Amino acid sequence: MEKSPKLFLSILFLLLIVSCRVKEEDPLAILEYGKNYQGSSRSLNALKKVTELDSTNSEAYRELSIPYLKRGIPHLWKTHMDKSIELDAQEWQGYRGYNYLWFYRDYKKAIADFDASDILTPNFIDAPQGHSVDYWRGIAYLGLKDYKNSIRYFDKYIEKETKDTGEDWVEVTAFLYEGIAHYENKNDSLALLSFDKLLKYTNNNYADGNYYKALILEKQGNTAEALNFVNLAITNYKEGYYNYRAYVEALRQIYIEDLLLLKKRLTKKQ
Amino acid sequence: MIKALKIIGILISLLIIVYVLLVLNMNNQLKPKHFPKEGVYEHSAHYIDPENSLLNEGFVVCDENFILQYYNPERATYSKGKNGLREFILTSFKNNNFTDSGYLNIRFIINCKGEAGRYLIHENDLDLKPKKFNPEIVEQLFKLTTQLKKWNPNFTHDEYRDSYMYISYRIENGEITEIIP
Repeated sequence: MEKSPKLFLSILFLLLIVSCRVKEEDPLAILEYGKNYQGSSRSLNALKKVTELDSTNSEAYRELSIPYLKRGIPHLWKTHMDKSIELDAQEWQGYRGYNYLWFYRDYKKAIADFDASDILTPNFIDAPQGHSVDYWRGIAYLGLKDYKNSIRYFDKYIEKETKDTGEDWVEVTAFLYEGIAHYENKNDSLALLSFDKLLKYTNNNYADGNYYKALILEKQGNTAEALNFVNLAITNYKEGYYNYRAYVEALRQIYIEDLLLLKKRLTKKQ
Repeated sequence: MIKALKIIGILISLLIIVYVLLVLNMNNQLKPKHFPKEGVYEHSAHYIDPENSLLNEGFVVCDENFILQYYNPERATYSKGKNGLREFILTSFKNNNFTDSGYLNIRFIINCKGEAGRYLIHENDLDLKPKKFNPEIVEQLFKLTTQLKKWNPNFTHDEYRDSYMYISYRIENGEITEIIP
């Protein structure tokens, strides 16, 4: 009886050692560690170790693909990304579509992946990177200048989001891109409705919306009003309220020189 | 009474041991000492070997041990912006009846002074598999890319920094259809 506390403590100590040893080889712990310092040899080796410990870990392959995506090394991105889809298509195919859309501007391949996700997730609409595949498809079809399908998917996305959570929860760039699709499709009245929605939900502080409104007003011959809108757009732009993305240029991204050029043209017309 | 004190003593000791074990275990998770530091990857994903790169001679980076990515905080950009870059490339590139398609990617470093050097070329088809382009396309686009001389260097931690940059030309039937990023 006297010895039992000592025995108990020895067993506890042994358990600790075993637990530490298990942790050393825990793929999930190494995966978390490998996500840090993305692209470094330390990170790559940790992620590689995860794939050796658990060859079915799709996330490790996805993580391995990202540095090559962001650094312009396509074939190495593809090898790892495709492997993650081979292991778990439901989880990653929509995400690959998002990569094709923005980092490779391969709109057809992006749409193929988004379409595949409809079959892979029949009970819900997949949302890679936080947005519905319908929203992403709207952008991809705009990239292809297939305005009919672009508008169709934006309508679908906006309708569902409005029904589920309310119009004020719709991603504002859906209004922007739907407006651009209408504008390029030469339907200015519908374009204006979209741009007005965009400006409504951004308190009139969105350079792209004010810029396109200025372009439409210019076409209508309303130069003075167009000038007001382009001036607003310039202010918005300087304050950082415009459409851009972190790693790559946004589709139809506008720049300050675009706004200044329009202002110059409108000023001349006055 | 003595027995009760003994039991309390054992319980307190146990609590201390459990606490120490938890701390040790947490440290084990947070500290990288047990995680692989070495392996098949000798270099980072973005590493460009100076010995095997183009136009590295005379090109100096400010800190070999701290080269950022172009998108890190105050991103590195072309001095004439994306519009200026696009206009220069698209108006200068001549499609001499090329039929190639794919991605011609040129990676390089922009140093802390805004100079570019240490170039590396990757050639892939539209399915992103390695391929060889018509050498004339490669030569033309490499030459044009190296003519993009003035860059705005990355700025972080109160200093201008070196950063890795890339330009990807998506080419379809000899025409440049996209310039990324």
